[in-house]
Amino acid sequence: MNNDPLELNRREFVKTIGTCSVAAGGLVLGVPAFGQEKQAAPKVETNISDFLKVPKNKHSLPGPFPGKAVKVQDERSLEQDRFNSEVIHQMVEKGITTLTGKSMKESFGLFFDKRDIIGLKVNPVGPPLINTSQELVDAVIAWLVANGTPKQNIIIWDRFDYMLKDAGFTAGRFPGIGIEGLQTMDERGNNWRDKDGNHVSINNFDRNVFYYAKGIVGKKVRGYKDDEFYLNQHVFNGEYSYFGKLVTQKLTKIINLAAYKNTGNGISMACKNLGYGALCNTGRLHDPLFFSVCTEVFAAPVIRDKLVLNITDGIRGQYEGGPDKNAQFVYPNRALYFATDPFALDMICHRELVAKRKEMGIQVNENPRWTEYLFYAEKLGLGVATPERIKLTRV
Amino acid sequence: MTTILAILLAFFGKPLFQRPAAPDTALLPPDGFLQSWKRAENPRVFTSSDLYGYIDGGAEIYLEFGFEQLTVQSYRPVPQSAADEFKAEIYRMADPVAAAGMYLMNCGKERPDPSFAERHTLNEFQLLFKRNRYYVVINNSEGNQKLRAAMLEFGRYIAARLPAEASIKLGEVLPSRGLDRTSIRFIRGPYALQAIYTLGEGDILELDRRVTAVSGRYDDAGIKYSLILVDYPTEEAAQKAFLNVQTHLDRYLNVQEKTSRRLVFKDYKNEYGVIDVASRRLTIQLHLADRPTAGVRQQCRKMRNTAI
Repeated sequence: MNNDPLELNRREFVKTIGTCSVAAGGLVLGVPAFGQEKQAAPKVETNISDFLKVPKNKHSLPGPFPGKAVKVQDERSLEQDRFNSEVIHQMVEKGITTLTGKSMKESFGLFFDKRDIIGLKVNPVGPPLINTSQELVDAVIAWLVANGTPKQNIIIWDRFDYMLKDAGFTAGRFPGIGIEGLQTMDERGNNWRDKDGNHVSINNFDRNVFYYAKGIVGKKVRGYKDDEFYLNQHVFNGEYSYFGKLVTQKLTKIINLAAYKNTGNGISMACKNLGYGALCNTGRLHDPLFFSVCTEVFAAPVIRDKLVLNITDGIRGQYEGGPDKNAQFVYPNRALYFATDPFALDMICHRELVAKRKEMGIQVNENPRWTEYLFYAEKLGLGVATPERIKLTRV
Repeated sequence: MTTILAILLAFFGKPLFQRPAAPDTALLPPDGFLQSWKRAENPRVFTSSDLYGYIDGGAEIYLEFGFEQLTVQSYRPVPQSAADEFKAEIYRMADPVAAAGMYLMNCGKERPDPSFAERHTLNEFQLLFKRNRYYVVINNSEGNQKLRAAMLEFGRYIAARLPAEASIKLGEVLPSRGLDRTSIRFIRGPYALQAIYTLGEGDILELDRRVTAVSGRYDDAGIKYSLILVDYPTEEAAQKAFLNVQTHLDRYLNVQEKTSRRLVFKDYKNEYGVIDVASRRLTIQLHLADRPTAGVRQQCRKMRNTAI
């Protein structure tokens, strides 16, 4: 396997990248689609097959550009450690128009209509160094508003309200735009129950739309003080992770604005931003399922059919110590990445980050398991992961 | 070698979690420090049971090395200027090796300031240092370059109140010839091992957070490889761990040779790995371009040892 991300750029990708076929049966968690990746034994029964029974619509993943990604780099985007808002606006326009081959107005029409309620899923973890930047969000909002989306139809969201605030996503900073956390978490751990003893955010989650993992319960999960502590952070603690009602009932489209960083030997970018950000009770999933959750959550129709665009904010990057910030490993990358296909996008970014880790002398564990979830998505028809089938355009 | 083994033995059998003592608030600078810094809130204290609530997605490695308590205190300048804020994080680990293990995991390429005595690295956003069984991080949230000197003063204040530095000679087990000294890492379980290589699921080396392995990268006259050495408390423990690796070797590693004392495999990059067990020691070589011969381990033993 070639691990040079530049190699992708040098190749001529003339192969037809059509809609991937959905594997109807015999789906196994963590099964990669090709080459030397091997089959992992199924470990946990989930409700992935229920997701796959729902017919796709015209907006379903991988969207109109499977296997296509655009990287826009501009040295002026980060100068003296400050973001250049004007340059970032230009980069967003270049990225979107290059991805779609259409004008900004036509691109808007490709993904949205003016009545859409559009959620901007940001990553607020690691401010001010390695979260989704406010400048990128500004640029995306400007595009949407310029094409007729009312400000009140745009909602910046994440799972945790306090993290949004910490990262500067406030009503004061974004007047007229909705700001919503799926849940409250009281960091002190004392004030998260209502007068009836329920979590104050319990009604923010949709009991009818869930990701199920048999036998994996949020009780006595290692690293959590006790079940109370777990409930504070996760609202529920059974075998079900409920999607936020914001996602299931309010939003009609989603733009995924991830940050550019690692998590261990893998990355915490497009797939993890939504895969662990759109639902509750996820602490239980890390150990037994980790990345495959990202794939299976994206297969849920509420994500698969609403997520229309992914922009990964790589103005700054972090190649080690993620997903929270670790300043020792943050560097100016000065790039934004665009795709409708989050899995192709993550494959590009994963390979780039591996190259960066090597360049910086970090010991790199390149075991294929860290990208198995991308090949699993390819097998499910959600995206393209095979490097030879991905077309990266650099601007 | 006897000395080295004695040092290693000192770490065996240590209780994994000691009873938490009082919070480390006495180590923190008071209000008015450097004339202008004031505590922004009450200090927060986290133990092994709630660390996950503070470190989003990263607590496991602290617990694996052996973690007792984290004390967090934020400071703001008075009068308040812009968004400047310092946050001191004092990690009290189980022992000096645990503190060193965390520091080595997080320090990256060290950029020391000549005026700071402890082993550390500094940039505009963070000062990281270790002393004895403490690992300390001073965060400068806005990366304000003008506050670099103040960050160092915060670090000095805390360092002066910590126990004297302990000598850690664990790295001496690694042969010195060709060793990239910046690559030395300690390993007490799957999370630290995973950062280097995947031999299999879970605690494949059966370190159980008690046995400390040491690893390093080598470039010996153009021959590049990584080395992990593990000294177990007993021969039986070493043999048991070796059998565990043999039995549960990662599915991406293909066995080339398998005996009661040696396992040779080829990995997903067509590089070779070899695991030898002898007496209480596992010797693991990784990323070898050529299939190893029987003499490699003996060669390693003949090399001069090194100190960290």
